Order: sequence, then structure tokens, then C-alpha cells
Amino acid sequence: MDFLWHKVSEKEKETIKKQAKEIMDGFSKKLSKVGELKESFIERDECERDESDTAKGCEIDKRKMFENAPKKNKDFIIAERKSW
Amino acid sequence: MVKKYLDIIKKNNKKINAILEINKDLKSGKGKLSGKAIAVKANINVLGMKTSCGSKVLEDYSAPYDATVISRIKDAGGVIIGNCNMDEFACGWSGETSAFGPAQNPSAPGYITGGSSSGSAAAVAAGFCDMALGSDTGGSIRNPASHCGVVGVKPTYGSVSRYGLIDLSMSLDQIGPLAKNVFDAALLLSVIQGKDENDSISEKSSGIDLDKVKKVPKNLTVGILDFRISDKNIQELIDRKVSDAVKAYGWKTKKIKIPNIGLAVATYYPLVYVEFFSGTRKLDGRRYGKKIEDAAGPEVLRRVLGGSEITKAEHAGRYYNLALKAKQMISEDFAKAFKGVDCIVSPVTPVLPHKIGAKISVEDMYNYDVLTIPYNLYGNCALSLPIGDINGIPVGMQIACDRFEDEKMLQIARAFEKL
Repeated sequence: MDFLWHKVSEKEKETIKKQAKEIMDGFSKKLSKVGELKESFIERDECERDESDTAKGCEIDKRKMFENAPKKNKDFIIAERKSW
Repeated sequence: MVKKYLDIIKKNNKKINAILEINKDLKSGKGKLSGKAIAVKANINVLGMKTSCGSKVLEDYSAPYDATVISRIKDAGGVIIGNCNMDEFACGWSGETSAFGPAQNPSAPGYITGGSSSGSAAAVAAGFCDMALGSDTGGSIRNPASHCGVVGVKPTYGSVSRYGLIDLSMSLDQIGPLAKNVFDAALLLSVIQGKDENDSISEKSSGIDLDKVKKVPKNLTVGILDFRISDKNIQELIDRKVSDAVKAYGWKTKKIKIPNIGLAVATYYPLVYVEFFSGTRKLDGRRYGKKIEDAAGPEVLRRVLGGSEITKAEHAGRYYNLALKAKQMISEDFAKAFKGVDCIVSPVTPVLPHKIGAKISVEDMYNYDVLTIPYNLYGNCALSLPIGDINGIPVGMQIACDRFEDEKMLQIARAFEKL
């Protein structure tokens, strides 16, 4: 197969899904001999960030977010669809 | 200078297809990057530009903010000249999976550029900019840098903020520079690296001393990765370059065996499939763009649909959990290896680039990054340095150093570059 981009049909999607599962099963088989390892944890001293500035929001962000929404009414994004 | 680049892009980009959009805001400032033109992979947010990720899914998505790396470039006086073509959502090795057509390799016409930062490498090689930004999850900066004959750096994981990067696999992704030479790559890295509160894995690094990068390091032990590749010509070029360095600088060499390196590819893809599936759930066609399952190409769908399947089956710990364990084993191998050597060298890719559109099996394609993936799993720094060509096709040598030894790696690369 070549790897050039093309639009994928529903039938091809099914083939791709099966193929992906087969690839993953092959990898899983290869990794099956990996033994038990101890869990490791990372402790961080600084684990909180300062969000005091972001609470104000940014007008450019808001405008751009709204422009990007595919479906919207006057001042809100339509987030639910029948299929959701 | 920027005007010169715009003229070259206007003249040659139709053929090369490296730049997807020219920036309208070409203001330059004062600083380390004053007057430098930087092209940016189209998965890094630049305010007001289309962050399409090389996909129809986000072709109309306009970035609402600057990624941290972009803010730092602008603060240092750099000009973002445009954004670059790439494999769709960085899911590719060749540049061929872009929904906007593959970028052409300026250094080897008709051959793939490599990917996924295909346009970034092609833009530098074609003389469209001084430097470029790419992202590297399994070799996506080093692989195209090797094929296009430019320098490409994957910094240490956590040393460069990923805030504003549209992720492929959050535990492996890293933004890094591509440039015509080591010094320019070091210059750009010195600007973009450093702790950022907006990226939870970001860590403070020791910085890059550009004067130190220019000096040839002494008493070095170069590790040569013991890994057999099918193309002997590539390995011979590497061996010759190392031998030249040993003669010129009095460096020592040592063979390095990584016991679990054969598991790297099988470890990498389950991590990527699951994290990519998780990361793309926001692409549901409601707040922006189209639904990914409706508009993406075959490789993206392979990862999304495959990720969905194995996420459902993960309760048995057969995929992601197993891969995490293998990742830890590989990391331990490298941590041990770097105690005995200053760097490890190897080819970047096991084969030369193929012709655009050539037929290749999925298995072969998945093995393309067999030599670059291990360093994403360990999280250390690695780069691709052009060292020559085979029948006119550029070949890169990979130089890797331990975590947060980016400055030393650049210093070593610069010494090799001088030979």
C-alpha cells in the first residue's frame, strides 16, 4: 500500500480498524514477556500553577474561539447535535 | 532578509509544497533572533494563523493564542514567516499523509522528505527560512532532517514547553528546532527552552551556552550503537565520520548494546495509539473543525480506531500497561549505557528515503523509526546531523546524549560538523 492521503470510505474504515487491532495484538504478543516492574512515582515540590491572571480571560481568545466554532447563534456556540 | 525569503517562497513553494500559509504579521524585534525568519510546523499555535495539523479536520481552525515557544521567539525578535506542511496530525514518517499533498524533498527531488515535520525540514533545505520548528514524538524532527540534509534536534523531554502544541502522544511529544547548521539550531533552542507554568511536565534546564557550543570537547568517549541495519552504506558513512573524529580530536569509542532495544517499536505504538485516541476526543466537530472520524485520512484513522479498540480492551492490561513497563525497561538500559559514554551515535533511519507514492507494508513503515523511537521512550536529547550522501541522497547521523545534556550534544555535533 502507499501512504498518500485519501478520503476513507466506511468499508475501508472497517478494514483499517481490523488491521490496527491486528498490529496491536502483534505488538502485545511481543511485549508479553515483559516482567512485573515496581510502580514508580515522581514527587514534585512545585505542583501548583498560578492561575490568578487567567481568571480575567482574554478578549482575543474569546473572539477567536467563537470564530472557530462551526455552528453558533448570535453569542453562543451550539454544542449539541442530534447525533450526540 | 525576510523579504528575500518571501520572494524565494513565492517562486518555489508551488513545487516544494513546504509552506501552507504565509504569516501576515511579519514584525521583527530586537533580541537574539532579530531579523531571523522562522517557519513553524502547522501543529503549533501561532495567533491568527491556521493550525491545520496538515488535516481537513482543522483546515479552517485559526489559533486563538501563541504557543509558549512562539511567544519566546517573538520576544527574542524572531519573525514567524509561515506555517509548514506535515503528516496529518503528525501521524506519519514520510510526509505523504498530509491532506494537502506531500512536501517535496529539495535535496533529493522525487523522494520523500521524511516526516512528520516534512514541511519544516523542506523549508529549511529549500532556503525558505533561517530555521524552523518541528515536533518529535518518535523521530519526526530527526527523520526529515536526515532525508533533507539539515540539522534537526529533539530536545530532552520536558526542556521545551509544549503549551500550544496540538498533541500526538502527550508522554512523548517534544518541540524542537531544525536549521541549516548546528549553531543556528542551538541558537533557536536556547530561546525556546526553559520552564513554563503552562506545561506541567516542563522542567528547568541548565540552558545553552552558545560560546561553549563552539568549542570542541576533549576526552570524549563516543558510544557506537550496536544495531544491525539492512543498508550497509549508511552504517559505513557513520563509521567513517566517527573514525575521522577519533583521529582529529583524540576521542575514544565504545560499542553500546541496549538489551531491550528490540522492544522499542512494539512499546511505542500502543502508547501512541491510546494517547492519540484520548487526545483527539476533543475533535468532535462542535467547538472547532470537523469530526476527526469523518474527515481524516487512513493513517490517522488507523490510530484513532485502533486506539479506541485497545482502550476498550485495556482492562486486561495487555497493551498500554504492558508498554509502560517495557518503556521503563528501555529507559533503564539507556540510563546505564550513558554512565559509560558521553554520547551514542547511530544512523537516523535504517533505510534511505523512498520515492513519493511507493508501495510499502505497514510493518515496514512502522519500523522506519526503529532508531529514533528509543530516545523518545527514554526522554533524552538526540539530533540528526548531515554527514554526506549516498548517490545524491542526504544521510544523517544521530547523536544522542543523556537527559538534560542538550548543550553537550550540540557541542559534540558542532565538532563533527567541523570535520
